[in-house]
Amino acid sequence: MNADQELVRRVQAGDKKAFDLLIMKYQQRIIHVITGFVHDPVEAMDVAQEAFIKAYRALPGFRGDSAFYTWLYRIAINTSKNYLTAASRRPPVTDVDAMDATIYYDAPELKEFETPESSLMSDELQQAIHQAIQDLPEDTATAIKLREFDGLSYEEIAQAMDCPIGTVRSRIFRAREAIDKQVKAVMGGEEQQ
Amino acid sequence: MTAKQHELLSAFVDGELNSQELDELLALMSTNDNARADYQRYQLSSDVLRGYTNRSQPVDFSARISAALADEPVHQLTAKSGKKASVLTLPDWFWKQTAGLAAAASIGALAVIGVLNQPQTDVTPELAQAAPVETQAVVAASPNRWTVGEQEVEDRLNNYLVDHNEYAGASGLFSYARVVSYGEE
Repeated sequence: MNADQELVRRVQAGDKKAFDLLIMKYQQRIIHVITGFVHDPVEAMDVAQEAFIKAYRALPGFRGDSAFYTWLYRIAINTSKNYLTAASRRPPVTDVDAMDATIYYDAPELKEFETPESSLMSDELQQAIHQAIQDLPEDTATAIKLREFDGLSYEEIAQAMDCPIGTVRSRIFRAREAIDKQVKAVMGGEEQQ
Repeated sequence: MTAKQHELLSAFVDGELNSQELDELLALMSTNDNARADYQRYQLSSDVLRGYTNRSQPVDFSARISAALADEPVHQLTAKSGKKASVLTLPDWFWKQTAGLAAAASIGALAVIGVLNQPQTDVTPELAQAAPVETQAVVAASPNRWTVGEQEVEDRLNNYLVDHNEYAGASGLFSYARVVSYGEE
């Protein structure tokens, strides 16, 4: 049982705090998905909140047919579409139905709140993260790349790198620490601006 | 915060915590604001690397959602039997023998049908052989989902599909992407 499954099981058994961890884990992704439909950042947050609340309410019926995020992702998309329909809003093209809004997902015209400054900061953050990975020792870099780019589990990485799972875990952690230093530097720079 | 606690946060980003470690993480997150902030940065870095977000600052509205959920009833686990538990369990040898017999019977039946349907020409008996039969291991249960034997494989396929959708969205190709459909509201 992976961590998500365990958290879901705990929420189903009455542990609300476990749901808090699921929110923390997936809120960035869900916001990203929803802003493809709802371009006002405040409204997007409201829709994301509604999606998470719907997910919480529906969780007793979640059978685990799919991974938790796959299920949550679908709820987020449906909530966004329902929001657009209820608010009688349409994507920028006049004859587009809310059901077809996915076609315009992340289209530039839907990203009104993405300013040149925020775009620049985002690029800067990406560059800092990639640079941090390039500067890592080979073993550490390989472990984090296999994890983040190839999506391998710790067990699979351990097999690929012929080392214990504990080593993989600590290599990935060291990589994250190094990346985090760069991330903090970029964010610190932003806060000073 | 200790290095061990940071390692815990890193492993949670990857979903690689056991039950006991989840207990530790829950305790840490509910008492330590620094842990939450550090975790958010780890998660943001991971999401940026995978193309799941293009934000430059982490967004944390978990407290807001938790407050909204405060009045929601606490779920109680019911003793429902799971999907897998409802399947009649029979020993492996039974399935192997049944599958072998079924395959042999199918090939035999096809061979007979093939011989009977031969055009009435002077074909010698030794040329009237049945075509090889291929079995299909994967069956599409409905247009929006697939059914494969192993849950792990199915999860991985779903993850690929969701990743594809998210990436396709980011690159303006969403019209060609399918949205996985499971347990809709």
